[in-house]
Amino acid sequence: MCSIATKFKDAYVNGSGPDLAAVLTPIGSPEDPTRLRSFHEFSSAEYISKDLSYALFHGKSLKVPKAEQTAWLDIFAAYWEAVDEILQCEDRRPNASVVTVFNAWKKVANALIRGYSGSACLPAWTLPCLYTVGKYLRTFAINADIEAASRGTAGIGFQEDLSAEVEKNGNLEEAARVINRMFTLCLNDRAPIEESRKWGIYDMTNLLFKTYFKINSVGLTKNLLRAIKAQSADLPPPSAFPKSQIVTYEYYVGVIHFLEENYAEAEEHLTWAWKMCHRDAIKNRELILTYLIPCHLVTTHTLPSKALLAPFPKLEGLFRPLSNCIRKGDLVGFDQAMSAGEDEFVKRRIYLPLERGRDIALRNLFRKVYLAGGFDEPKDGQPPIRRTRVHVNEFAAALRLGSSAERWRVDTDEVECLLSNLIYKGLMKGYIARERGIVVLKKGGSAFPGTGV
Amino acid sequence: MSSSIPPWRSTASAPLLSAFPAAAAPAYIPVQARRSLANHSKPTHGIVTSQPTTQSASPETEDRPRVQFPPPVRSYVQRCFAPENQVASVSIPEMQEKLKQVITDAAQNDKLGLIDWDRLPLPQTMIQNERNKILANPSSSNWAYGQPSSPGDARKRKSTDAHQSETGSPPWRKANRNRFEDRVTHPTTEKKPRITVDQSSKSKANLEMRRKRFEGVGGASPSSPARSPTQTAEANQGPVVGRCQTLEKNYFRLTSAPNPDSVRPLPVLQKALDLLKKKWRNEGNYGYICDQFKSLRQDLTVQHIRNEFTVNVYEIHARIALEKGDLGEYNQCQTQLRVLYAQQLGGHPTEFKAYRILYFIYTRNWTAMNDALADVTAEDKKDLAVQHALNVRSALALGNYHRFFQLYLDTPNMGAYLMDMFVDRERLSALATMCRAYKPDVNIRFITEELGFESDEQTARFILDNSSAELLEEKNGAVRLLTGQAGTLFDQAKAAAHRVVDIKGQI
Repeated sequence: MCSIATKFKDAYVNGSGPDLAAVLTPIGSPEDPTRLRSFHEFSSAEYISKDLSYALFHGKSLKVPKAEQTAWLDIFAAYWEAVDEILQCEDRRPNASVVTVFNAWKKVANALIRGYSGSACLPAWTLPCLYTVGKYLRTFAINADIEAASRGTAGIGFQEDLSAEVEKNGNLEEAARVINRMFTLCLNDRAPIEESRKWGIYDMTNLLFKTYFKINSVGLTKNLLRAIKAQSADLPPPSAFPKSQIVTYEYYVGVIHFLEENYAEAEEHLTWAWKMCHRDAIKNRELILTYLIPCHLVTTHTLPSKALLAPFPKLEGLFRPLSNCIRKGDLVGFDQAMSAGEDEFVKRRIYLPLERGRDIALRNLFRKVYLAGGFDEPKDGQPPIRRTRVHVNEFAAALRLGSSAERWRVDTDEVECLLSNLIYKGLMKGYIARERGIVVLKKGGSAFPGTGV
Repeated sequence: MSSSIPPWRSTASAPLLSAFPAAAAPAYIPVQARRSLANHSKPTHGIVTSQPTTQSASPETEDRPRVQFPPPVRSYVQRCFAPENQVASVSIPEMQEKLKQVITDAAQNDKLGLIDWDRLPLPQTMIQNERNKILANPSSSNWAYGQPSSPGDARKRKSTDAHQSETGSPPWRKANRNRFEDRVTHPTTEKKPRITVDQSSKSKANLEMRRKRFEGVGGASPSSPARSPTQTAEANQGPVVGRCQTLEKNYFRLTSAPNPDSVRPLPVLQKALDLLKKKWRNEGNYGYICDQFKSLRQDLTVQHIRNEFTVNVYEIHARIALEKGDLGEYNQCQTQLRVLYAQQLGGHPTEFKAYRILYFIYTRNWTAMNDALADVTAEDKKDLAVQHALNVRSALALGNYHRFFQLYLDTPNMGAYLMDMFVDRERLSALATMCRAYKPDVNIRFITEELGFESDEQTARFILDNSSAELLEEKNGAVRLLTGQAGTLFDQAKAAAHRVVDIKGQI
């Protein structure tokens, strides 16, 4: 007797989705590392459907409607074929290929989707199967793409049209389409909420988010958000879902806003994810911070503390040099740090917000100019007042600090432009009197708001 | 009597179906007759011109051994055999067969008097049309004509089947059926409209067939497991080999498989490009040029031509579109060029990478900008145009209008056309900033120089267009902008100008 069949029956009798999903997992489990192999040996391509129908549904222990039975038989028949391919890969047979595994697994996914959408209408408690199958579909697709890329054009040229575009992410894109169908399947279920597939929505959305990010189609995520928003009245509140799903969801929504430069909204979602994220999930917390720190830089002009980054050496390395330059008002150092980290920043898509840190660095530099300007002559025993009229040339001189004269020649107009930007953005209070070539700063210790002077 | 329903008839009556030989039956899909193609006779004509005199050709005529044919039918038959109407590729027996089919069918269905015989295509033309349509279908182009293969042909399939059922169904047709059906229903998006044609019929047999076909897709299909979905799609579309020799061709968005007769092969396309370049120089008629380039691109696409020439076509079209500010068309070219450059086919990748960055500045698509930046390699950064575009982007990100307008005045290649699209927007931003920073006023001369205007007059005009006349004042022989009093005027104008740009065809 095949253990998969037993497990299937147990899961069905208990109505346990996770157990059922475990049955459909395409890897060995810790307690039964050879489960795939024994399942494979249990039948052959010729007899699989007969064997399955006997093993799964024969006897009185399990009463399942006929249509549902057919659906499961289809799914497990596809599963058996996929397992066949997986084992061929494991055995390193000459004809084995991850692409084939992916295609076989896609059939499992399609059979499962049919099970939900067709007349069988599998019950909602079995939803974890959908997620598990989708998850492995994505994994297989990524591996298949890697394999296709490594085999290169030689392999493709034989099978495909020569002019066919060498698709870097072809399999993953295909996987995204299948997972998208799963998403729709969950979102558009109209059954009463207790037995609705809507409970699978965040799982499927997160899976799709991941996939779209991987294939560089972040734009497509907006369709998902729109669809979810349109259905939001019918969805259970996020608090009713497992926290892990919601944290992931909020993280992605935050990053999507982040990429559109909606930093305020991004911050909101990312902060939520940051607070709710399990404290031991170091990797996830690191990911959240990667975006939350640039967000903060833009919205509140604050830099990460040493304590915050202490558990994350990678982030410390990424942000510390920049932070130091910003704090010191070291423009040259800032530009160097930006170009040194450019590849990494661009890859993580945080280059654009970090670049705005230059404004803060500039503010700090000009603040130093102001401080260095000293005080006006005290009048009649009054406490001394800082000199609030600063010549534009003094700021220009500060800009030349640390840079060779020719490369960083700044003309007065550009200095004025930088000054007016700081004034416009509220980082500096005062105005430029152009005819006289001076900057008149606000009196009373608020020329550089938030910095104490 | 073995007869068939002519393709122009919309009623596919079930009883006739049973008259088919069994072999042909499964391939039969009753669908609405094609009404759009001009070379097929239009059913409306036939119905409109009813002739009351021949109404007597009623049901009982069927049983009569001899039918009294009305004069229009007789003249039709005469025309069929007229030597000037003979076509070399259609033999007389073939034509006769078809003619017989047409007439018996009309007689059986009481249409002898309803059909406009003067306009009805001759049988030889019908046969030719059928063949052409099969040839137009790329997936069958490797095969002998007459093979049903794609759902695009479903409407026409019945006539072919019927035609062949006379001679008996060839064995390979049945053998290949599964494979073709498998391809046919592959769920790629572009296939959707075609599939709906199949689905328009509600007959039971059809549903059954459809069910079978879907099973073939998802379930255990007999096809080799190595066939990836993209390969299937490729196989289905297959490159067309064009035969058209005319240089100019109007763009027509394809709604079905391309017809090789109207597709130009590469050498013709190359000549066409030269012609277009000349015409663009001499006449500069953008509407015409754009249309021609679209058809050029289409011909390249359907023939799967991807080489330096393709890149050249897209680059030239992109440049012309830029020059005319047609950003929708430009964006289509740019998107395609990105793919083409990735295949190292030559062309001017850096020039267009620079445009791409400028374009995303204009559309304010920051997500795409991230991608564009990631695309720029260290090697690209040595290129002047790329450097320029990157500098423009960084100047804008930091609000450094001073740098921005210096860069604007010194733009390589055709980037200025793109920058023109957003320069006014950035002028408003700059003015909003200046009005906040400078007190009490600035000389308009300064604004002219700083914001890259051509003259003080242009500056004044721009300010007047976007704010109010009170902000300008003449003092000591110079016009001055009262920045201190502008308040939020330019902020509002700036906000209005910075609304997200939505362009058709944007990816």
